[in-house]
Amino acid sequence: MSRTRDIRSADSPPAPPASAPDPQRVALLLRPPLLVGAAALGGARVARGIASLFAGTLLRAINRQSERGAVAEQMFNIGNRSLFFVAVTLGFIALVSVFQVCLQLNRVTGDLSKVGLELIKLMVHESAPSLTAMMLATRVGAGIAAEIGSMVVTEQVDALRMSGVDPVSYLILPRFLACLLMTPVLAVFAFGVALGSGTAMAYVAFGVNPSIFVDFSAVTAADVGIGVVKCFCFGAAIPVVSGYCGLTTFGGSEGVGAATTRAVINASLAVLALDLLLTVAGFMLFPPSAA
Amino acid sequence: MIRFSRVSKAFRDPLLVDVDLDIESGAIWGLIGPGAGGKSVLLKIAAGLMRPDAGRVEIAGRDITGDDETALAQTRERIGMLFQNNALFDFMTVLDNVAFPLRRRGVADDEAEARAEKRLRAVGLAGSEHKMPSELSGGMQKRVGLARASVADPEVVIYDEPTAGLDPVTTSKIYDLLREDHEASKPTTIVVSSDVDALLSFAPRVALLEGGVLRYDGDAAAIAESDDAVVRQFVTGSLEGPL
Ligand SMILES: Nc1ncnc2c1ncn2[C@@H]1O[C@H](COP(=O)(O)OP(=O)(O)OP(=O)(O)O)[C@@H](O)[C@H]1O
Ligand SMILES: [Mg+2]
Repeated sequence: MSRTRDIRSADSPPAPPASAPDPQRVALLLRPPLLVGAAALGGARVARGIASLFAGTLLRAINRQSERGAVAEQMFNIGNRSLFFVAVTLGFIALVSVFQVCLQLNRVTGDLSKVGLELIKLMVHESAPSLTAMMLATRVGAGIAAEIGSMVVTEQVDALRMSGVDPVSYLILPRFLACLLMTPVLAVFAFGVALGSGTAMAYVAFGVNPSIFVDFSAVTAADVGIGVVKCFCFGAAIPVVSGYCGLTTFGGSEGVGAATTRAVINASLAVLALDLLLTVAGFMLFPPSAA
Repeated sequence: MIRFSRVSKAFRDPLLVDVDLDIESGAIWGLIGPGAGGKSVLLKIAAGLMRPDAGRVEIAGRDITGDDETALAQTRERIGMLFQNNALFDFMTVLDNVAFPLRRRGVADDEAEARAEKRLRAVGLAGSEHKMPSELSGGMQKRVGLARASVADPEVVIYDEPTAGLDPVTTSKIYDLLREDHEASKPTTIVVSSDVDALLSFAPRVALLEGGVLRYDGDAAAIAESDDAVVRQFVTGSLEGPL
C-alpha cells in the first residue's frame, strides 16, 4: 500500500484518483438506461390509458350510450373509405403469392392441385383478417386520430364537454361500434377479392382449373372461428388505439400530425401483437393434429 | 357564486399561484392581464373544464374540487362559455352549433331551433343559419360563439375575449347585448378582454392577473388610482414602468 503511494508521488504529478468518476461520463453512461426507462414508463402509461379507454368504451356500449345515426354514419365512413383500398391490396397480394407459390411448386413437385386448398385455409384464419386490419389501421386509424385530434386542439372537445357531452360516448363509441361491425364485413369482402384474383392467376398463368383451385375442404370450423374472433379483436383495437392518440393530442396542427402518425404505428402494432396472441391461442385450443 | 380558495396551477412553470377569488351570484366580473398570464386557464378552471393542482373551487354553491367527471358534467350544464378561439363545431351548420346546447339539455328540436334563430338574430347573423362555420369571417364566428354560450340561459356565462377581432361599432353592440342578457336573467358574468377600456366601462368590478396572482381585484372605476405600479402601467398602457 504505502509503496504504491510512494512511487506515485515520486514519479509524476498526482493523477486524479481512479475512483472519482467524471460526472459528464457518468451522465453519458446513464443516458441509454435512463432513455430506455423513460420510454418504458411512457409505454406503460400509454398502455394504461388505452386499456382504460377500452374499458370505458365497453361500459358505454353496454349502457347503449350511442346514437344509431352516428354509428351508421361512421359505418358508412369506415366502409366507404376502405373498400377500394382493401380490395386493391388483398387482390394484389393474392395475385403475387399464388404466382410465387405455383412457380416454386412447379419446380419441386409440379403438382398444383393443392395450392388453392392451402391458400384458402390460410386466408380464412390468417391473411384476410390480419391484412384487412393492417389496411384499416392505416386508413381508418389515421382518419380517426386526425379528426379527433383536430377537435382537441381547436377546443371543440372542451366545447362538447361544456354542453354535458361525454367525449368518449360522442366521439369514440360510434367509431368503435362501426369498426367492430365493419371489420368482419370488409374481411369477408377482401377474402372474396383475393380468392377471385388468386383463382384467375392460377388459371391464366399456370392453367389450374378453377374447379380444382377453389377447394374449401381443408377449412375447419376452428379456422372460421379463429378468423372471426380475429376480425372482432382487430376491429375493437383499431378505433380505441387511434381514438386514444386523437384524444391525447396537444399543440397545434403539428400535434395533430404527430397524433396521426402515432395512431397508425400503434394501431398496426396492436394488430400484429393481437394476431400473434390469437394465433398462438388458436393453435393451443385447436391443435392441427386433432383437426 | 364562484369562489376560488388558494387555487394553483402549473404547466411547465407556475401559472396560477394561490389565487383567491369570490364572485357573488349575478355579478359582472372583468379580468384583464398580460398575454400568457393564465387568464384562459383560470376561466377553464372556473368552468370545471380543467382541474387545479391545488386549492378549492366552488361553483354556484357546490364545491367541485373532488367531483368526478359525471358530477362535473352536471355542474357544467349550468355554465355557458365562449372560448377564445370560438371552438365552433366545424361539422355542423351555424344553426346547429347554436341549438346544440339546447338539444343536449333536452329541449325539443323545433323549440331549440327557434331559440337558436332568435339568438342568431340578436347577434346580427340572421341569414347565416345554414352556413358552415368555415364560411364565416372571424368576427362572425365570434358572434356565433357568443350566441352558443348564452343560448341556454345559463346561471354563469364566461366570455373569453368576446370582442377580439371585432370593429368598434360591433364591439359596442356586443357589450349592449351582454348588458341586455344580464338585465334579463342576471347570470353571473365573467369576461376576459384585452380591450381594457371597453371592459372597464362594462364590468363594475375587475381584476388584473399578472405573475400568477391577482394584483388588483376591485372597483373598475378606481383601478387607474391603484397603489400598484404594475396595475397602473397596464391600465394606462404606458411604456414606462415595471412591466
Ligand atoms: N393545456 C395546456 N398544456 C400546457 N400548457 C398550457 C395549457 N394551457 C395553457 N398553457 C400555457 O399556459 C400559459 C397561459 O395560457 P393562457 O391561455 O391561460 O394565457 P392567457 O392569459 O389567456 O393569454 P392570452 O391573453 O394570450 O389569451 C401559456 O404559456 C400556455 O402555453
Ligand atoms: Mg387567453
